Amino acid sequence: MIPPFILLLSLLGIMLNLSLSGLIIQPDWSAALLLASLLAQRSNWPWVLPGVWLHDLMLHWSSLICLPVIAFLPWLLTQADARLGAGLPQRIVLMILGLLPLLWNGWAFLQWLLTLMLCIFVWHFIAKAYAQSA
Amino acid sequence: MQRRSFLRSLAWLGLLLVLLVTLQQLPIGQRLNLGMAPLLSVFQTPGRWWQDVSLWFDERSQLQNNYQQASLQLEKQTAQVQEVKSLREENQQLRALLNIRQLKGYFWYAAKVQGRSPDKMSQRLILLVDQARPDDVIVSSTGLVGLVDQAKSGSAVVRTILDASLAVPVTMPNSSLAALVRGEGERLIIDFVPTEQAPAVGSVFQTSGAGGMFPPGIPVARITKVTPIPGQVFAHINAVPTAHWQRESWLALASSINKTIDQKAP
Repeated sequence: MIPPFILLLSLLGIMLNLSLSGLIIQPDWSAALLLASLLAQRSNWPWVLPGVWLHDLMLHWSSLICLPVIAFLPWLLTQADARLGAGLPQRIVLMILGLLPLLWNGWAFLQWLLTLMLCIFVWHFIAKAYAQSA
Repeated sequence: MQRRSFLRSLAWLGLLLVLLVTLQQLPIGQRLNLGMAPLLSVFQTPGRWWQDVSLWFDERSQLQNNYQQASLQLEKQTAQVQEVKSLREENQQLRALLNIRQLKGYFWYAAKVQGRSPDKMSQRLILLVDQARPDDVIVSSTGLVGLVDQAKSGSAVVRTILDASLAVPVTMPNSSLAALVRGEGERLIIDFVPTEQAPAVGSVFQTSGAGGMFPPGIPVARITKVTPIPGQVFAHINAVPTAHWQRESWLALASSINKTIDQKAP
């Protein structure tokens, strides 16, 4: 139930970004939602990565914005968890890493910061939802 | 066994990368933006409602004042349109008398901005316009904005001059300087300006009309920095666009007359 809901919200986020970007400062809703889903459960990558690809195409007309970095995150998460044990600090670092391409592609720092904060917020809720359903 | 698995993963990754780079050449993002253009207006509806409702609370005298100003502006614009028509007529007669080939003309349309990319410079735009065709020129009241990339059923997606794929031939008014403006993300770079002819910071380059893609005389870039490079003929010049399309609701679209006639012909 969670994947279709997140993907739908992510699509709505892309539309919000496109239609209201001249009026208000807003985070990258879609990137925050998808990255939070991946960090909450790394086995989500089969539906998160196509979502990130769609995000890159719709907002940047390119496949190579966030996707190349986020595609490595599940593997990096496995490696980090195996070496350091499951923990928050490495996930925060990977979250920052996953969102860095936005800064290189012209997003304002405030927008990037809002995206990061939204990602943490959503991550908390998705992780809770997965914990309850388990 | 582990090595073979690693090699297989690497092969898959390589294949995926090749696929992504190949897809990069196709205008998939542009098509997706065109497809979702009608949906974007739904998100703007609350804003429009708010605007409509706020009119109810405006002072009557304020509305009358706005109406008078709008009427005055309309009168002035009507007079200007008449003047342009008579000048065009006179120009055609003079060209016929002197036996000079007709210059390329443009049809001008208004286009509503439906959406824009969320980066701080809004490098890509989605417009609501019926007559758009690829490579039509988009202009704001302050200068050149970009080119139509794709157009379909009342919508068009625009690549602005900040995009690295666009190069605009420019010149300075009353000079023989011929340069090229190209986008570099958040700023513009001006190529082929000899160091000794480099204009001062704050000068404005305008389209030269060379190549026939852009109408001549449209302001394009304001110089922000001139750096002479020792031992090189051309200076390194940074600039910013003169047009501010980040908050404009309406833009103008210039469609080449020849192209329009070609498209209408059976």
